[in-house]
Amino acid sequence: MSEEGAKLYDEVKEKVETLKDEKSIHRKFADIWRLACIGKYRSFDLRYLYDDTSREYVEKYKPAMIEAKEKFLENIEDYVDQCLNVMEKTNKFKVYYAKTNEEAQEAFMKELGDNKVIYKSKSLEAKDAGIIDALKENNIEIKETDLGDVLCQLLEYESPSFTLGPGIQFTEEEIVAKIKERYGVELEPKAEKIVKYYRENYRPELLNDVKVSLTSANAISAHDGSIVLIENEGNISVLTRATDKHIVVAGISKIVPDEFDALMVAKLQERITNVDAGYISIISSPSSTSDIQGTRVFGMYGAKEVVVILVDDWRTEAAKENLFYKDMLKCISCKSCDFVCTASRAFGNIYASKYGIGGINIVRDYIHNGIEEAVKDGLFLCTGCENCTNWCPAGVDLAEMIKNLKKIATEKGLCPPTLKKYQEKIIEDKNPFK
Amino acid sequence: MGMKLIYLGCLSSTKYTDTCENAIQIINKIDDEYKVLEEAPCCGALAYHITPDTTLEEHVNLVNDWFKKNNVEKIVTICAGCYNYLTYYYPKYKADEFEVVVEHLLQFMAKPENIDKLDLKYDGKKLRVCYHDACHLRNADIPIIDEPREILNSINKVEVFEMENNKLNSICCGAGGGVYATFKENSDYNTKSIFDQMRRGKALITACPFCYTAFKRVAEEENMKKPIIKFEDFIIKIMNGVDPLK
Repeated sequence: MSEEGAKLYDEVKEKVETLKDEKSIHRKFADIWRLACIGKYRSFDLRYLYDDTSREYVEKYKPAMIEAKEKFLENIEDYVDQCLNVMEKTNKFKVYYAKTNEEAQEAFMKELGDNKVIYKSKSLEAKDAGIIDALKENNIEIKETDLGDVLCQLLEYESPSFTLGPGIQFTEEEIVAKIKERYGVELEPKAEKIVKYYRENYRPELLNDVKVSLTSANAISAHDGSIVLIENEGNISVLTRATDKHIVVAGISKIVPDEFDALMVAKLQERITNVDAGYISIISSPSSTSDIQGTRVFGMYGAKEVVVILVDDWRTEAAKENLFYKDMLKCISCKSCDFVCTASRAFGNIYASKYGIGGINIVRDYIHNGIEEAVKDGLFLCTGCENCTNWCPAGVDLAEMIKNLKKIATEKGLCPPTLKKYQEKIIEDKNPFK
Repeated sequence: MGMKLIYLGCLSSTKYTDTCENAIQIINKIDDEYKVLEEAPCCGALAYHITPDTTLEEHVNLVNDWFKKNNVEKIVTICAGCYNYLTYYYPKYKADEFEVVVEHLLQFMAKPENIDKLDLKYDGKKLRVCYHDACHLRNADIPIIDEPREILNSINKVEVFEMENNKLNSICCGAGGGVYATFKENSDYNTKSIFDQMRRGKALITACPFCYTAFKRVAEEENMKKPIIKFEDFIIKIMNGVDPLK
């Protein structure tokens, strides 16, 4: 094992040690995350008022979802072309096709112009494209709108968190204490009071002051260029309407053959996460009116401009060259792999990268930043139980990708020594336990 | 006619020799032509996820040559890892050249004619047991999920109590992927979750020696009252008419 390997191994060990301390960042996250996983798992078998359970619903649509994703992968270039064309010509979006993350960042900064503030939804795709880092470097004020992210910002939480509830680890007391410290307002430590505070104080700003907003996309239809976005808070509804310029940043892998496939992505996510997607936006053009003499004028009440930055970077290459992480292109970010992951349950946000928790984000880190980062993210905490693969509604073989990463790491001398010893004993002694 | 081999696997043959004896006894009661061979090489499952393809293939060749040298035609293995690996990687690397028929003990036992031969009877009070689905068995090319349930439920007064996470959705014990050797904290947490789900089950039965190792350690540390029992050991106790929980 290389010196670098030993260092990375110690780093992970050190983080794992902190799980014993009830007050540590990792332990606090793990405690609530474990409960969330159990709750999520149970909710798959609930019927609510539907005819079917979420599990049955997902099983029913899984084959169609996999087919849509595979169709896209087989003809990736054609679908991207089709999508770009229809978005520009029919939908009147301003479209960028960014070959690299750097191109995406450049396009974004150009579109931002003189604006020094950006209001954003979660926009994981923008993070993936390095746009969030670029904004920070350029001293642009980033204003989160999802309450969980707002709270993470308020409490200066930098560790990886759970995308669907990023602030879930904070207690009411911690939140109101910070609000008092920051804004001088005393609140009763109750979820309702905190929500009311933000509704009264932040909502008017969102409705009136947003010039440029950033969202990602849950899915994009190649057939008609529609952008599908799901949410439960209403922040995306506001950001996509009460703005001058709505910028969408998405990897080309969000494209699916048609608008019904796109809606399927949204509905599957809703059932998998069991959070009612209160709102699903299907955006097919900027706001416009033709009510005066049939003259089409853009920017009535909604966004004047919709800018779409479609990022390729590693994606077409992965599909065409059949790279081992090609399956990443099928991911619909539903997080079902996280809920059922053994390592995730045991290690919470130690098994995570800067892109978020879980194996899928470790693969992402590898793609952008190399194998050392993946090892640091806890790659070797995975037991290979394959629950992720068994659960994926889109046919992503995450277990296989992680296995490939472990092989790459081992070749570079980054495999934990105990494990490496087993391998050597198998090859040399034909029995690892003797 | 080729040889019928009992492939015990490296962990069981090194650390769980009693269980090996029990397994041999069960298999031979069904078919006494099955034999153990000394110095069987490890199948390689334990390190497959960190070993480059070329090295894996070399090892598969080596083991396959050993099978050929001994004229092995059929294998019954008692290890979940061996079963998964022999039925997936060996055909993958050797294609048609890999002619050995591989079965796991659970499949072998669950065949109706074999279950009959074992004549499993239990006269005690009604006994609910939990069965833990090992990843290597449930994820295998031909998954083994129903067989253990069929065997256990065939025993008079014994009944499988299903845990919340079962079958394809079982929680990993934390010993997979060699993680046990490096980060025991995985099995610390996950094994406790599995214990929590046993509820009305009086014992936890597993057919994987790796799961057993992880369960046993945590059970001892946690002072768990309910026993962890290997599948073979449970069956032998039933066959011998002794209390299977002791």
